Amino acid sequence: MTKSIRDHLPYLLLLAALVVLPFAISFLTGEPLNKGIALFSQGLMIQVFILAVFALSYDILMGHTGILSFGHALFFGTGAYALGILVKYAHWSLPVAILAIIVIAALESFVIGILSLRVHGVYFAMVTLAFATVAFILVEATDFKQWTGAEDGLHGIPVPDAINPAIHRTEFYFLALAFAVAIFLLVKLFVDSPSGRVWAAIRENEARATSIGFNTLAFKVQATIISGIIAALAGALNAMWNLSATPQTMEVGTTINALLMTIIGGSGTIIGPMLGAGVLQLLGYFLNLWLGSIWQLVFGLIYILLVLFVPYGIVGTWRVKQLDWRAAWRARFARVSK
Amino acid sequence: MPNILELNSIQTFIGQFHILEGVSLSVAEGSITALLGRNGAGKTTTLKSIIGLRPPRDGAVIFAGTDIRGRRPYDIAALGIGYVPEHRAIFRALTVEENLKIAERKKGDLARRADFIFGLFPDLKKFIKLSAGQLSGGQQQMLAIARALVPDNRLLLIDEPSEGLAPILIEQLMTSIRSLSAHTTVLLVEQNFRMASQLADSYYLIDDGKSVQHGAMKDLVNDRATIQRYLGAAQA
Amino acid sequence: MAWINQNRNALISAVIVVIVLALMFNGMSPQTASSVILSGITLAALYFLVASGVSLIFGLMDVLNFAHGSLFMIGAYAGWTYYTNPRLLFNTGSLLLALVAGFALSPLLARFIVLPRWARWLAFLIAFVIAIFSVRDFPIDKLVAMGMTMTGKVIPTAEAQEPMTTMLMRLAGAFLAGAVASAGIATRSAERRAAPMQQTIALVIGMIVAAVIILLAREPGEQFILQTDSNWRFLMAMVAGALTGGAIGALMEWGLIRPLYSRPIYQILLTLGLTFVFDQVVRFVWGPAGAFMEIPKWFNTPSKDCPSDNLWVWFAQNCDSVFIGGRPFPSYRLFIILVGILMLIVIALLLQRTRFGMIIRAGVQDSEMVEALGINVRRVFTLVFAIGAALAGLGGVVAAPFLGVYPGMAMEFLLQAFIVVVIGGLGSIPGAVAGALLVGLARAYGDNIVLAGIQLPWMKDAISGSPAIARASTVLIMAIVLFLKPTGIFGKKD
Repeated sequence: MTKSIRDHLPYLLLLAALVVLPFAISFLTGEPLNKGIALFSQGLMIQVFILAVFALSYDILMGHTGILSFGHALFFGTGAYALGILVKYAHWSLPVAILAIIVIAALESFVIGILSLRVHGVYFAMVTLAFATVAFILVEATDFKQWTGAEDGLHGIPVPDAINPAIHRTEFYFLALAFAVAIFLLVKLFVDSPSGRVWAAIRENEARATSIGFNTLAFKVQATIISGIIAALAGALNAMWNLSATPQTMEVGTTINALLMTIIGGSGTIIGPMLGAGVLQLLGYFLNLWLGSIWQLVFGLIYILLVLFVPYGIVGTWRVKQLDWRAAWRARFARVSK
Repeated sequence: MPNILELNSIQTFIGQFHILEGVSLSVAEGSITALLGRNGAGKTTTLKSIIGLRPPRDGAVIFAGTDIRGRRPYDIAALGIGYVPEHRAIFRALTVEENLKIAERKKGDLARRADFIFGLFPDLKKFIKLSAGQLSGGQQQMLAIARALVPDNRLLLIDEPSEGLAPILIEQLMTSIRSLSAHTTVLLVEQNFRMASQLADSYYLIDDGKSVQHGAMKDLVNDRATIQRYLGAAQA
Repeated sequence: MAWINQNRNALISAVIVVIVLALMFNGMSPQTASSVILSGITLAALYFLVASGVSLIFGLMDVLNFAHGSLFMIGAYAGWTYYTNPRLLFNTGSLLLALVAGFALSPLLARFIVLPRWARWLAFLIAFVIAIFSVRDFPIDKLVAMGMTMTGKVIPTAEAQEPMTTMLMRLAGAFLAGAVASAGIATRSAERRAAPMQQTIALVIGMIVAAVIILLAREPGEQFILQTDSNWRFLMAMVAGALTGGAIGALMEWGLIRPLYSRPIYQILLTLGLTFVFDQVVRFVWGPAGAFMEIPKWFNTPSKDCPSDNLWVWFAQNCDSVFIGGRPFPSYRLFIILVGILMLIVIALLLQRTRFGMIIRAGVQDSEMVEALGINVRRVFTLVFAIGAALAGLGGVVAAPFLGVYPGMAMEFLLQAFIVVVIGGLGSIPGAVAGALLVGLARAYGDNIVLAGIQLPWMKDAISGSPAIARASTVLIMAIVLFLKPTGIFGKKD
């Protein structure tokens, strides 16, 4: 019991800090929650939560199942556009629209998974990138302008006042936080489940997983569907937050963002990509202030340096180091006791 | 005779796995030396360590007086080491001629050595324009050996040449390898103990990634206990 | 018989393609059909130039280069800049060359110093600071703006150009930054130690001298380029684009991809990141808008007899279009087709007739064995990467007068090249040809249909769309091929 508390303590502390954060900032600046820095910082954190979930969904594939997808923006964008179209044009209520998004994302990821997972490794990355790029071309096409708004995007999505981020920012903050926590727990559940262990087996050695008798294709499709649904939900929340869905959500840049967050945080660690989202978002904000539009270029360069020199990310490197330290301690202890 | 090759307690890893934990051996110039041991003992890895495909992390690989450990394979091969890997590894999409030509280190190597090579393996001359993938298993093996003979190699590393061949082909192959030893030194990995014992002058036994015993081949042939212990009952 | 058996899949696919084509063009007037087919082949030639590089590189070294579309784009921008106003190239090219010369010092430095880990980061940081200082206030926006407004004219003033002394100082700074960074990457690997010292020194000195010469010759050089007539200038622009692509490709392989051969996933993560970086660089330097490129005189000579009646007459007239199959067809596009075919022949000759090609074909199957025969495979890898990148760069320049230059072209051509190689099979040049033709024809056919509209028997009105629909629809072919034969028509590698 004590061990489990010690293991969970950092997470609980982080959660507590995030719950207190808006009030703490409001207290420190002396401004009410819906004004100034307090308001603005909530907005920044809301984006962090949304992207954290998106990064987490990406890591289900990359970190936990060993599938490299370069088309993840497709699912994020699907969520955003589906929410916009269903709520604005079909006048569906929000909960129904979200249920529909789950179904749509499941179908979409099923089809793409079935088609693309027939090929391995880099092929998959290539094929998913092709699908996502086509989706991007389609949402930008003028043919569907009445629904997608073409290059301008779909604006003015009606969100119920109770959670409209423009009116009730703090409520939306807690909604996004609750969403992130719920997905975190859900993914942890999945990863620790029997399915999750098969995913890990596929990641480590797919040929062996097949030879043990697992239908690896089925498990990979399963991972793709779960990941696709979560990404679409993140996209939907993003659309609610922005009250719009833009072609950028479908762009390769969005996929690269997910990759970047995963790599910064450390893939295969669950909390890593979420922390990565935080680092990326906050860093991006300040770099943007400092450098202006060139910050994206700097970002790209940072990404390349990370890939070259810090492949395990923050959490991964931390854990490796911790193991090294522990091993060093143990070795020292063993020597002394002899 | 001076030693053309010496391994001094080499340590080789594949990923995290410690495969060779101290293999030492020396090969006398002009001899045929057999590397014996069970499956997975580390014989193939030893050859790959010499040629540089699995560079050892520690120890010394001394070829003709210089330590070549850690050099790139192309650099090592250019010193005069020919490698005939297991499963032949000929280039199936290339013609027989191209398979030989690609091994040239100087222009005209093949023309210079053609008589010698085609004297040993007349079949190859017959099928010179055929793509190598269409050759039979035995012919592919001969091509793999012939490829190592194109440049002036001082040492040949031959891995499991008899694997998957019919007995009559093995006889043929043995004749060829024996006549090779007049020109170069051979380090031979061979599962087929009968073949190895008839070809080699001396042997090294490898077990569990370590070299455990060595000596003249004629002594080993009569040492049933050792054979049984390190190579299994079937070979004894 | 054996031949038929070996190529069964390809033959079956060919038959299917012919049937599909016959169905597609059924009911189309011959004039329309011929112009659609020619447009399709034009696109196919461009797709081939990108896809063949992707395919070769993957076949040989198992690296899927997601930045290949970016090399196409960089080639296009470099060629376009060379053609319209090379002042930007002279001023930045010399700095880049000096930076690379600094990097190239690393095998030499590795002999003397090997830094501990923390000092490496420090070296990178110092190099970064030096680099920032050496490009501080560099008037790149002015250079670009001038290039865009003063297209193809000789500008006698030193406008937008910094004085030579400033530039030389920047040059020294760039070299220093590269050298300090190279101390950061210098490692004590045997390979680097084995690299002959004289060769490194000669290389570095050569690059520095070249950089200085480029800088010193910037004004006469620019005059010379702008005074050559548009045909020659365009040919040289093609060379410039190919060289730029090739140089960047070689640097990419050598500096970024080679350290990651033991971590293959990270290689493609890296190349994907590079697409982003190149995109940002192009947007930063040339702006997000894009530009048109003039068609060289040879394909664009106005006269009252235009369009030319046939290809034969065209050789005398050089009209912008020529009657083929009863309809005028832009003559420049015929040139694109010609370049595509020429490059196909060059690649085929290189692969089948040279020792280098033999090594590539052998390496596709087993590069370890090639290396064990005494061949420096790493160098072959770098060269093949450079060749593939040069093909893409060349393709970019050739495409520019047809499609213009714009930042989106990288993704667009990457996408089409991927569809092509998925259809044809990675690592196969015949596959790249077949895939490119299929995608090109489908694209042209789709464009045609989309413009004309589709009216199926039960429909009241024809449905018409934007070209985006045709662009997107090529992915359908990919989906079908994936479903039927995941390794592609000619693919063997899984």
